[in-house]
Parts: sequence; C-alpha cells; structure tokens
Amino acid sequence: MITAIGDNVAGNLHQLRLQHSGLGYSSYIDTIYKDVLPVAEVKHASESLFALAGIPVKEGYTRTTLLGLAAMREALQHAGITDVQSAPTGFINASTVGGMCDTEKLYFDIINPEKTGSFLQYIDTLDCADCTQRIADIVGFSEHIATISTACSSSANALMFGARMIKQGLLPRVVCGGTEALTRFTLNGFNSLKNVDKQFCRPFDQQRTGLNLGEGAAYLVLEGESFARANNSRILAELSGYCNTNEAFHPTSPSPDGDGAYEAMKMALAMSGHSLEEVSYINVHGTATLNNDVSEGKALERLFGEKVPLFSSTKPFTGHTLAAAGAIEAIYSILAIQNGLIFPNLNFSERMEELNISPVTTLMEGYPVNHVISNSFGFGGNNASLVISKYEG
Amino acid sequence: MAAISPQPTFDGDIFSAPMVHTDSNLLSCIEPDYKPFIPGNSLRRMTRVLKIGLTAALKCIQDSGITTPGPIVTGTGKGSLQDTEKFIKEIAAYKETALNPTPFIQSTYNSVNGLIALQQKCTAYNNTFVHRGFSFENALLDSMMLLQEGATHTLTGAFEEITREHFYIKSRIGFWKEQLTDNRALYQHLSPGSIAGEGATFFTLTAAPTPDSYAAITGFKMLYKPAAGKLSATLKDFTTPPDLIITGRNGDSTYEHYYAELDQCFPGTPQLPFKHLCGEYDTAGAFGLWLAAQLLKAQQIPQQWFPGLTEHLPATFNSILFYNHFYGEQHVMLKLERV
Repeated sequence: MITAIGDNVAGNLHQLRLQHSGLGYSSYIDTIYKDVLPVAEVKHASESLFALAGIPVKEGYTRTTLLGLAAMREALQHAGITDVQSAPTGFINASTVGGMCDTEKLYFDIINPEKTGSFLQYIDTLDCADCTQRIADIVGFSEHIATISTACSSSANALMFGARMIKQGLLPRVVCGGTEALTRFTLNGFNSLKNVDKQFCRPFDQQRTGLNLGEGAAYLVLEGESFARANNSRILAELSGYCNTNEAFHPTSPSPDGDGAYEAMKMALAMSGHSLEEVSYINVHGTATLNNDVSEGKALERLFGEKVPLFSSTKPFTGHTLAAAGAIEAIYSILAIQNGLIFPNLNFSERMEELNISPVTTLMEGYPVNHVISNSFGFGGNNASLVISKYEG
Repeated sequence: MAAISPQPTFDGDIFSAPMVHTDSNLLSCIEPDYKPFIPGNSLRRMTRVLKIGLTAALKCIQDSGITTPGPIVTGTGKGSLQDTEKFIKEIAAYKETALNPTPFIQSTYNSVNGLIALQQKCTAYNNTFVHRGFSFENALLDSMMLLQEGATHTLTGAFEEITREHFYIKSRIGFWKEQLTDNRALYQHLSPGSIAGEGATFFTLTAAPTPDSYAAITGFKMLYKPAAGKLSATLKDFTTPPDLIITGRNGDSTYEHYYAELDQCFPGTPQLPFKHLCGEYDTAGAFGLWLAAQLLKAQQIPQQWFPGLTEHLPATFNSILFYNHFYGEQHVMLKLERV
C-alpha cells in the first residue's frame, strides 16, 4: 500500500502508531486551494513514483497508475508471488476518475487541433480501465481483469467481487484493491458540494464541517482457503463477511437514520457467522461530513444498541482516498488484528449532539482484536461493509 | 430487454423498422420520449447518458414483467462524458469558484445505477463496472454469480454516449476512419478505424427460464489481450459450430485479423455483423447480445437491417455464438440458445 503516511504497509503502521497524520497542503495539484484546503498527498512527485513503481520514467503513465503499481509491487512481494502466472490470478481494480490527475492538465491541448506533441500519449488515460490495464500488463495479469467504480465504496466492492469469484470456483487467487490520485477535478467537486473542511477533518466531532481528500493505493491478495493451504501461503486474516447494498435515498446524501449503513453492517456480520458481541473494532467510513457521521453513527447505535464496539475513523491519517479507501482500511483492519491495536480517531474533541457514542481517541495497544467491520459508503447510495477476522485455521 | 440505440429499437417492431444511416462516422441514439419514464423536474437536470440509461432500465423492467426490485449491475466505459467535459470546463471558466456541483455528481460512473435504485426504491446489491470492452461483460459475470448465489433475477445493462468533443479526442489516436463512411457500407471499407456509436441496453436475467425469456446464455468467456493462437484455441474449445454467428466486425483493418480467425474456426457457419447498426463503443457488446436474443426468440431476421446478408441463413436457428472485441484488447464470446 501507499498513502500520505507511508510508502508501504510497515511505513503506514509506523505512522499510525506514532499518531502522525498525513494531512497537509498539496505540492502537486494545480489549484487555487493549494494553501487553503488540506489534503493527504503522497509525498513524492510523479517522477520519483516511477522508482517506487519499478519502471523507467515514461510518458503515458499517470499518477493513478504509478501509485497503483507501487502498491501492487509490495502486495505481490509480501505474498511471495514472483510470477502471477504461477496460478490463475485475477485482478480487480477500483478507480473513481482514472487518470484525471494527468489528463486535466492536458485536456485543453487534447481538444485543440492546433496543439500536438507527446501529450497525446495521455489521451487514452482518462478512463478507469487505463490504470488497471497498465498495471496488469507490467505485472503480467492476463486471466481476468475488471475495474469497479462505485464512488467511495469502489475498492470494498473490488474485494467483494474477487472473493465471490473465488467462492464460485472461477479463480483460486484474485488481487483486489484500488488506486486514487488527487485531482483538481475531484477537489473542486467535493468543494462545490460544500463538503470539504478548511481545517484537518474531525470525524464524529460536533464541530466537524467536512472531509479532506487523500490519495493512495492498496491491494490485497485473496486466495481460497484450500488453495492457500496447498500453496503454503502465509494467511494474514480471513475475509469472513461482506455486504453491498444500496440505500435508494438520495444521489449524494445518506439517510439520516443510516438505513444503508445499518443494513450493510448487519448483513456482512450475519454472513461472517459472528455475533454483535464478537466485533472488536469498527473502522468506520467516518468522512467527517455532516451527513455521513450522523447517518453512520445512528446505524451503529441501531445495530449495537448500548454496546457499540470501539470504533474510529482513520481518515484524519490518510484523508478520504475515495476508490482506494476500502482497500487501505481493509489493510488497517488486518494490522489492528495482527498487532492488537485500535487506531485513534484524530482531531476529536466533542461528542456529536445526535449521538451517545464517541470514537476511540488514543492509540490502544495490546488489545485483542478478532473481528473488525470496515465500512465504505458512497455517492449513488452505494454502501459496502466488510468483516475481517483473525484466521483461526 | 430494452435498447436505446441509433436504430429504432426502443418502441415498435424491429422487424419492420427502417435502418437509420449516416455518413458522418458517428451514429447517435434515437432518443425516446422520456416523459412516461422520468418526472419533468428530474428530467431537466439530467444529461443525455443518464436519461438513456435510466429510461432503458425502466423500459426493461416493464418488458420483463418482473417488477420486484433486485440487484442492479451495469457497465460503462466512459460514464457521462457531457458532465465530465462540462465540469472540467467550468473549473477553468470560473477559476474554481462558485461551481455548480451537478455535473460533478452526474460524472461519477455509478450515478445511473444510483438513479435506477432511487427510482425503484431498490436497496439490493448495486455495482458498476468501468472497464472498456469488459464493462458490460463484468456486469454480466457479476449478475450470473448473483443468480448462482440465489438471486431470482438481476437488472443488468450498459450505457455509453459519444460527444462531438470525445469523437475528436479519439480521432487523434486513430479510433475512427479518416474517410467519411456510410454505416450501410461499413464492411466494404476495410481501413484503419471504425465509426463511433452509443447506446443504452438493459436485460432482466433470471436463474430459471420464464415463458417470456428471449434466450438462454449457455456459455461465456472473456479473453484479455490474447497471445497469438489463443483466440482460435479458445473459440474451438468454447463451442461446436452454432447455427449462426453474430460478430462485432467493424470495418477496422487494424484488428480485422481476429475476426478472420473466427471465420477460420467456423467455416461455413453463417454470420451477421451488428456494428453498422450501433457503431463502435465500449459497451456495444450489450447491443449485440440484445440483437442475438431478439433473433432467437422471434426466429426471424430484420431483413432490412442486413441487406444482401440473409440469403444463406438457416430457416430456424437454435444456437448463436456471439463474438466481439474492443480494439483488439478485450475479447468476449457468448453462447446463446433458444429457450
């Protein structure tokens, strides 16, 4: 994985333990909000990302692709996969705006017949399949590829789709996740919706006024249990439940009572076969927008009643990384299980008046974490919850 | 099923509908009257691909007679280009201030899915795939998995638009023919590039056939950038010679060799191409599948859409092989059978 707080999983864990946020101001987006709206940017110019991505500097590779490749290299290496062709392996990627980060800088040249040059290499990078195919071609995926775009729940849905393909016996192994680069397009989009905080975001806080965007990429290698055992794979955790549901309430806003969030968590947990009491930690979507946190908080109270498990939003570390968020937070959930950690919800000081619950605010160590719910909710009413469990095989 | 396409496919009898033609290298959809499907106040805010996507979905639900909401799974290569273009330009024109968020919201790829769910009050599974010539096909795979997992039915579709601006952008990297080509003569002009198209096509898929079913999907395979020989081997392995082949042939000499491989795999099997009707686009495969299913159910061919191509066709056909690829990268084969 790669995020504003680290170029790999170990780097992310280190910063999470130190409670160091990745939020700051952009060095790379061309926007008037550079010094006004905080973002969680990966601390590398695209040129230096080529080295992390393991490829020579070349036209046509967008920041989205490079972030994705950097994360993909680590995921495969960590899983001990030197050749993805060694077993039939699918690749399910997620993206919200494809290569917009680069094409938005060239768009007016691209549509101008009088302009020509090497920028034309970027013409076909605007769509979401571009990053997926470039990553697939470099790494060698050829079995099954797909790209999902369901806004902020995109990579949670990629994980779900990959898991279902394995369950149905279509493939023994699928690499799933998402990649997202900051763009002027998206920043202005969320800002036009008045959803961006000028301060560092404050999830579940009474004074919160919006989200901060972030960028990054994360991939997880999913294998069927019998394949993983036969293959002697090191099993980090089990994806024990998932649910995708649509709220059918409003194009961009969640319902005030969190119907979609409630349903997604409830069904994912039911699938995992675990009880409400067994949930150790919830990595909430927690964007710090006015609507999300009320809706998600209400859903937690409705589902768990008086006994809402420990919960926190890690968005103040990474910003909201949109298509990558589900996969980044799935990795954080695994880190919580492996290391007995509950990550703090930074920037929290005052409980919301609508809720009786508040998030964990200090790092908890040595806490047994067996089952984690990870939430990703998005535009279009697209809600997704994952249950990640300690592997007891 | 329902299809909004450059041909009169939305209402009426396709077996007597005339063939729409143009020599502009760009086939645009015939837009239906949206008012029976979408309330006026919503309609005013919506851009074209949202309107054709939502309307085709709603018409498909009507056509299927299955009104209980179920999972909604779609594919689109480009989403709402109009909204994306508009928002990029407004950011520049208004110098990032006082922007209207509507184009941003509508440019998100899952906005059509969200609208369908909202209109249908449908809280079931909802997913959108955005992968060029595998967009609709992954939606189809997802839907088939949902049926395996116990869903009784799914609403599965695809939508795409072409704008003048995007037509120009893609012309810069050789997507379209340089010479203006009449779509009726598409296959006679083998040269680099094809002609552009667009459309919205939806299907209701059920786990078991119903009296209203158009066809059964009995085989499905996707191939990504197949190495030399892989396509032929896969095609031969995929099916015995069917009664009819429907191909995505598009007059593009650069990738014609894949269709030539298909010809060699099934010599003598009659073929019908469909891209002269809908043009080339990421999710044209959905239109091809719609056509194949129509033919299987009706057991007849819209003769007027295939002048000179229907002489050697069998009187009845029980199986169709559908093969399509998108600029040589994403290859799809489907087997359809009469129910």
